[in-house]
Amino acid sequence: MRALWQKLYGWLDERIGFDDFYKNLLDRPEPRGNWWNTLGSASLFLFIMQVLTGIFLTVYYNPSPDHAYESILYIMNDVQFGWLVRGIHHWGASLMVLVVFIHMLRTFVTASYKYPRELTWLVGIGLLLITIGMGFTGYLLPWHQMAYWATTVGTAIAGSVPFLGDFILQALRGGPDLSALTLQRFYAAHIWILPLLLGGLIGFHLFLIIKHGESHWPDKED
Amino acid sequence: MNEETKTQINAKYERELQRGERFWPDSIYKDAIVALGIFLLLVMLATFVGVHDSPKADPSDTSYIPRPEWYFLFLFKFLALYGQIPILGKIEWIATVLIPGVAIGILTLLPFIDKSPHRYYAKRALPLAIMFIMVLGIVLLTMLADYPTVAHDGSGLPGLIQAVAGLVVPAIVYIAFTVMAYTLRERAVRAITVTAALGGALMVAFTVLAMVAFPLPAQETAEVPATLSDQISAGQDLYSIHCVECHGDDGMVEIISGVAGLEGKVVSIINSRDVLYTVNDASMAEIISYGRPDSGMPPLGRAYNPEGLTRAEIDYIVLFMRYTWDDRFEAPYIPPLYPPLAEGEVPTYSVHIQPIVKRYCISCHRPGKDSNAYYMDTYANILNSGDNAGKNVIAGDMNSYLIQTIQHTEILDADGRVLVGVMPPTSQLKPDIIDVFIRWVMGGMPE
Repeated sequence: MRALWQKLYGWLDERIGFDDFYKNLLDRPEPRGNWWNTLGSASLFLFIMQVLTGIFLTVYYNPSPDHAYESILYIMNDVQFGWLVRGIHHWGASLMVLVVFIHMLRTFVTASYKYPRELTWLVGIGLLLITIGMGFTGYLLPWHQMAYWATTVGTAIAGSVPFLGDFILQALRGGPDLSALTLQRFYAAHIWILPLLLGGLIGFHLFLIIKHGESHWPDKED
Repeated sequence: MNEETKTQINAKYERELQRGERFWPDSIYKDAIVALGIFLLLVMLATFVGVHDSPKADPSDTSYIPRPEWYFLFLFKFLALYGQIPILGKIEWIATVLIPGVAIGILTLLPFIDKSPHRYYAKRALPLAIMFIMVLGIVLLTMLADYPTVAHDGSGLPGLIQAVAGLVVPAIVYIAFTVMAYTLRERAVRAITVTAALGGALMVAFTVLAMVAFPLPAQETAEVPATLSDQISAGQDLYSIHCVECHGDDGMVEIISGVAGLEGKVVSIINSRDVLYTVNDASMAEIISYGRPDSGMPPLGRAYNPEGLTRAEIDYIVLFMRYTWDDRFEAPYIPPLYPPLAEGEVPTYSVHIQPIVKRYCISCHRPGKDSNAYYMDTYANILNSGDNAGKNVIAGDMNSYLIQTIQHTEILDADGRVLVGVMPPTSQLKPDIIDVFIRWVMGGMPE
């Protein structure tokens, strides 16, 4: 049995190269870190939690004005542990915005955005804005009063841009008012467009972090 | 940045790596602990706090006060306060697009704006001070979000104080920063630090003043029925208030009697298969909302009646009708209207009487209805309102009008004419409900 396992490992290692993974990803030297340095990985963990719980929710959720509210009630009342998964997704969204924002503040305070990590910062701001976009689009999906009217006002703000405002408003809402189209649009943005963007940019962000290493905590010499 | 500085920075980083740690296992271990903590926190929040949804979206209810997710609250407050500024406040896009756009732009391009190679906090007084005021402003505006800008007497003083805390002081501090940075140059650190501390203290002080001087108005948080059985119960209560008069508590009425203006009108028997099998939920909700004005049914929906029901409430009524009368639907367990009484237990208004009254009496006994001005909408009104105030409920008296009429004994005046008819006029309460009323009155009507 053991021999078989070793054989299998050897075969895979020959083709994948676990040693390279270990050397390049895990066994990296790092400056002495502290607990503030865990905020980035905490954001990543929250993103993964949101993806997993979100996929579960799409199994039952129905993005139409007639059924969205009822499908959420069904998840909350009738699906086994539906209330737990939705609860984690709901609170995870708030926590993710908070953690990503504090992560940005930490980077600002330690000035980690300076050479050679300017691009990491730029991508990071993109991640922060998309995270907020995820919150904004996800908030409409339960199709309750608060969601409906908050989105009405939120999209109206986007509509106040000079010259382009009307176009942006119509593009966001799919018409002059909130409708089934708006819900479909926000749903598509929430489960496809923004998560794909977010996932891609996270990959780039991580690549840059591994390339340049985590920044060290600045002292008087810096 | 020249090559020499870059070499210096890289050399310093190499030295930090020499006396550093390994990603595995040193950093991963901390990350894992934080991830576990976050997971536990989320499970606790989902379990013990839960998610509080509002009623279903109702596009016709334009009176609903929108409230965004908490992380947008500061922006809403900022817009509200900005809108108070004379003249400039009317140009909406300055606050909605220009200022947030500039702030995000500066944040994005930060590495290219802040070109100094220094990272130590004491050498970065200006950027840290700017960020400090910004974050403090965001936190304070979020805290102020629910406080109204106009006081009860219509004065704009609360809004003014809030604007000082969230707009005026930060603006002045930012102008001061700019002036100091350009005039004092290298010596500006101390001045900037002191200004930031003073400005921050002023912002906090004005926020506290706004919150203490004009406290939050008491908010009524309506409980939203979340489960099917709660919604059916809510629907039954609403049906009892708005529909029973004409359609009867079982929906079997064919010819209306005893309703002013609609006497003798013929109505559909709404608990019949003819109605329930042929009218779907959406049509049923539309009928309740628009009414049948030509046949005498008033519009009950807010879209056609400013004081009417919300869409969610109408949906609850439809649910009640389906699960009570439609034989294709199987009703879930619905908790009893009031907790059953033990031997000798005296019922109270809030636990027992209120839900009963809401379902069986308020339909007629509320302001705007002809019921000898006897209103049963509050505890005080039940005890003391109407033409026969003082006689309706008397502690320990079986001859109280309420007790007599619900047992189908009419109250006659001195000439033998009917003063108060039997209650409810066209049906009779179940014995256990009558028993609750008797025990309540005999027990001294506890609240």
